[in-house]
Amino acid sequence: MTPHTLLAERRLPAEIDTMAELEAYLNAALRLEHATIPPYLTALYSLHPGANSDARHLIRVVAVEEMLHLTLVANVMNAVGLRVDLTADDFVPRYPAHLPSGEIDFLVSVQPFSQAAVTTFLNIERPAKAPNESSRLLPRPDLGAGTVLAASPIDPSRRFYSIGEFYEEIDRGLRHLDHLYRAEGRELFTGDVARQVTAEYFYSGGGEIVVVHDLASALKALELITEQGEGLGGGIYDGEGELSHYYRFQQLQLGHYYQQGDVPGRPSGPPLDVDFTAVYPVAIDAALADYPAGSPVREAAQRFNGTYGDFLAHLTAAYDGEPRKLLEAVPWMFRLRDDIEHLIRNPFPGRPGVHASPVFTRAPEERS
Amino acid sequence: MIFPEGAAARTDTTDVAGRVYDVVIVGAGISGAIIADRLSREGRSVLLLEAAPADDLTISGYETYLNRFYGTAMKDNQAPYPVLPPVPMPRSTDARPLPPGGGPNTGGYLVQDGPHSTDTTYTRVLGGTTLHWEAKILRMLPEDFELSRRYGQGLPWPLGYDELEPLYREAEREIGVSADIEDQRYLGLHYPPDYVYPMRGLPASFLDQTVAKGIDGTSIRVGDDEEIPIRVRPFPQGRNGIPNPAYDAGRGFTPVGAVSTHQVEEGGRCQGNNNCVPICPVQAKYHAGKTLARTLHRDVDLLAQAVAYKVHTDPENGRVTRIEYRRYQDPQSTAYETGFAQGRTYVLATNAIENARLMLASGLQDRADLIGRNLMDHAYLLTWARLPEVAGTMRGTNCTSGITDLRGGRFRRDRASFSIDIHNDGWGWATGAPVTDLLRIVDQDHQYGFGLRRSLVDQVSTQLLLAHMIEVLPDRDNRVTVDPRYRDELGNMRPVISFKVPDYTMRGAAFARDLSRQLFGKLGAEDHTGYDPAEYGYVEFGGDGYRILGGNHLAGTHVMGTSPATSVVDDHQRSWEHENLYLVGGGSMPTIGTANTTLTSTALCLRTAKHLIQELRRQDRPVTLATIGAR
Repeated sequence: MTPHTLLAERRLPAEIDTMAELEAYLNAALRLEHATIPPYLTALYSLHPGANSDARHLIRVVAVEEMLHLTLVANVMNAVGLRVDLTADDFVPRYPAHLPSGEIDFLVSVQPFSQAAVTTFLNIERPAKAPNESSRLLPRPDLGAGTVLAASPIDPSRRFYSIGEFYEEIDRGLRHLDHLYRAEGRELFTGDVARQVTAEYFYSGGGEIVVVHDLASALKALELITEQGEGLGGGIYDGEGELSHYYRFQQLQLGHYYQQGDVPGRPSGPPLDVDFTAVYPVAIDAALADYPAGSPVREAAQRFNGTYGDFLAHLTAAYDGEPRKLLEAVPWMFRLRDDIEHLIRNPFPGRPGVHASPVFTRAPEERS
Repeated sequence: MIFPEGAAARTDTTDVAGRVYDVVIVGAGISGAIIADRLSREGRSVLLLEAAPADDLTISGYETYLNRFYGTAMKDNQAPYPVLPPVPMPRSTDARPLPPGGGPNTGGYLVQDGPHSTDTTYTRVLGGTTLHWEAKILRMLPEDFELSRRYGQGLPWPLGYDELEPLYREAEREIGVSADIEDQRYLGLHYPPDYVYPMRGLPASFLDQTVAKGIDGTSIRVGDDEEIPIRVRPFPQGRNGIPNPAYDAGRGFTPVGAVSTHQVEEGGRCQGNNNCVPICPVQAKYHAGKTLARTLHRDVDLLAQAVAYKVHTDPENGRVTRIEYRRYQDPQSTAYETGFAQGRTYVLATNAIENARLMLASGLQDRADLIGRNLMDHAYLLTWARLPEVAGTMRGTNCTSGITDLRGGRFRRDRASFSIDIHNDGWGWATGAPVTDLLRIVDQDHQYGFGLRRSLVDQVSTQLLLAHMIEVLPDRDNRVTVDPRYRDELGNMRPVISFKVPDYTMRGAAFARDLSRQLFGKLGAEDHTGYDPAEYGYVEFGGDGYRILGGNHLAGTHVMGTSPATSVVDDHQRSWEHENLYLVGGGSMPTIGTANTTLTSTALCLRTAKHLIQELRRQDRPVTLATIGAR
C-alpha cells in the first residue's frame, strides 16, 4: 500500500490533527476501556458461588476482553512513541459515571448483578452507528456529577454518539496523521517494537493480540476493539467468529445462547439460566468514606483500594517497556478476586440487607 | 470447543440395533475418542458405547464435578465424580491391608486377592481417566523399547522409538503439550531437528527452583560401574501454556480450551491452580471430552449408560459378531435392558483392567493364556522432608519438574529405573497435608486465630515430597481374572486383582529411598519419611519396610508382540485370534518404562486408527473373483 492509496482512503474529516490531539484521544480510550472493568468485576464476584454459571462465564469473558482492549490501546500508543500511564489520580472514574449513548444518557454504576446491571452492560456495548455524519459528535448537555467518557478530549463540550464513533475518530486521526507525517518525510510509527505486548504475554488461548508497528496494524487493533464490542458489520459475531459483547449480554435477557447462523434477537442455541436472587446485595457505588471509620470492613475496603492502585501501577510498568510483567496479571487477578470476595461476603455496617462492596476510585487524602 | 447440542442423547438402543457400523468402540476415554475421531474424519461410521451416563458436555455440567470436589471432605482421585451403582469404579479409599495369606478384600469394586493391596484407580465417566489425570506427559525412552534385548528384562516390543516418534508428535498435538524442546533431549530422546512442542514450557515452581539450587550437578553412584549426574528438569505437560509461534513450521498452535454447547472462553491457558488432580477448574488440562466434542459433529453415535457385558464371537472363525451390552435407564437404579451392537470391526478401549475383564467375562481367554496376565502399574514410593526455609509449597500446579536422569542406564540389568516428581502440593499424598497439619496445630499446639494461620503457612510451605515413579516389569502372575462369585450390581463380573511388587522393582525402591536420604542431606532438609506396617501397600524387602502406592498407569493385560504364542495383539493392537477385534490402550504395552502411559498409549491408538482406515479401505475394494476353470 502506497501513501497515495492511504490518502485516497481518507475521505472523512478528522478532528485529530496533531500528535497531542491523538494522545488526548488515546488516553481517553484507555480510560474508557478501563472504566468498564470495575462494574463488570463487581457484578461477576457478586454472584453466589455455585450459582449462575452461565452469567459468570459471560461476564468473565467480557471483562477479560476489556483488558485486551486496554492492552491494544497501549500497543497503539507505544507504536507511535506515546507513554502509557494508568496511575493518574483521576484515571479511575468516580461511579456512577456517564458513558455515551445515542438516545439517552445513562449512568454506569459499580453494582451487584441484576436486571439493571444487565441493561447497563447492554447500553455500554450497544452497537450504535450515528444516523448521519453530522450527528457523530453531539453537543454535550451539562450532566452534573460523574465522569463523562468518550466525550471529545479536544472539545469537552461535545460527546460522541457511541463508543464505535469514538474509535472511528481515532481511526480517521491515525490515517490523517500518518499521511501528514509521510508528506513531511517523517515516520509516525517510531515506537520500539520491544515495548509491544505480544500474544505470549496476554493470558489467552488465542492469538488475539495485535502487535502494532504501522498504520495497518494500528487500524486492525482498533477494529478488533469495536468488533468485539458490537460485532462485525452489524452481525452478532466478530471477524474471529466470536460472539460480540452486546449479544453475549443479550443472551442473559433472552434466555438462550446464540449459535452460528443466528440473527440478532433470535438466539437458537441451548437455554441458559439466570437467577437474580443468587447474588450478594452489594452496596451500589460505595465510597471509602461510607464505611464507618475503624471498622474491619473499612480496613478491607482500604486494603482493596490500595491493591487496585498497585495493580494499575503494575499494568503501567507492563505497558511502559516491560511487557513480560503482564504475565503476572493472572496472579494479580486472583488476588483482586480474593480481596473483593472478602468485602462482598460481609454485611455493610449499619445498612441492613446490604453487603460491602469494592471501591476502585482512588481515595482522596484522608480528612482528619 | 463446541459440543454439538443433543449429541449425547441422539442415539438410542433402537438406532444401534438397526445399524452395522464400520467400527464399534467400547469406551469413550482418550483411546476411544481418538480412534473415533480419526475414523469418522475418513467418513467411517462409528458407535461409541460408554458405560457412564453422558449429558452434553457443558461448562455448567463440568462445574457440577468441580462443586462436588470443592464440597467433599475426601479429596481423592474420584472425589469430583458421581458414585453410581451401575458403573462402580475403584477408589483409593477402598484399599485395605490384606492379612498375610488371608482372603481377598471384596469391599471395593476391585476384588483384591493380594498379596499386594493396591490403591490404583481409573475413572468411569465420559472422557475417562483423563478427567482426573495429572497430564504429565512423557515419551518412553528409546532404550525402554529395547529393555529385553539390551538388559534381558521385560517382554520384547514389536516396535521401536523411531516407529513411534511421528505418532508421539501427533499425540502431542492432539493433547496439546507444553514443553521446551531443549529441556527434553536426554537419554537418547530425539526429535526431528526443527521440532518444538505446540506450546512453551510451563514455568517451574519456586519449590522446583529451590530443589534445583541444592542438587543440580550432583553425581549419583549407581552400582559399581556407573556414575550419573542429576538435575531438576521440567516435565512436558498436557496443559495449555503459551503457544509456540515456531510450532508446525511457523504456523503456530491454537490451544483447545473448555468444552460446552455454547461459546465459552476458558482454559486457553493454565492458571496455576493446585488441583490438576482430580480436576482442573478451568479445563486448561486436556481431557478426552475435547476430542469427543469435535468428533461428535460427524457420523459418530454415542450410546451412554451402556455397559459392555459380553463380546460374542463366531466359534468357526473367531470373528466378533456383536457386543452385548446392558443399558440402564436410571443411574441410581440397576434395572437394565439388554442390547446388541454390530460392526465390521470392534475396538475395546476401556483400559487395561476393564479390557481384560470383559474378554475373560466373555469366555475369550486366548490359547496362550495371556489375557489379564502381565498386569503392570507404576509403583510409587514417597519420601518427604522439611526444608530449612520456606519454599512456596502449595503454589503452582501439582507437579512441574522432577529428576529424570535415573530413567535409563546400565543399572537396569539389575534393578528398576525410576523418575522422581517434585510435588508442589506438599506432603498431601503421604500424610494428608495440609488437613492433618491443621488438626495437629489445633489439637496439639492449641493455636488459633492469626497464630494458627501463621503456623499452618509456615509448616506447609517448607514441605518437600518426592514421588518416585518406579518401573514395574511384566510378570505372568500379576494379573486380572474374573470370578462368577464377584459381580457388580448390573451382573458384570468384577475384576479380581492378584499382584505382587516384583523384586526388580523393590531393588529400585530401595535405591530410591537411599537416594532421597542423600538428596535431603544436600538440601539440609529434615527427613520425615516413615512407612506404617499397618497401612495398605506396605512391603518388606531386604529387611526394610516400604510403602508402595498405585500409579493409575495400568498396562500389560493384552500385550503386543510378534507371535500369538507370546502376545495377545499384533503391533497394530489387532487380536491374533479375532481378526476384526482390536484391544487398545495401555494393555498392549509389553513394558512401561518410566513414562506415564497415556502418551505412548495414544501414539499406539493413532497407529491403530491409521491401520483401521487402511484395513476398511482394503475390505471395500471390489474383489476380483477367480473364474473357475480359467486357463
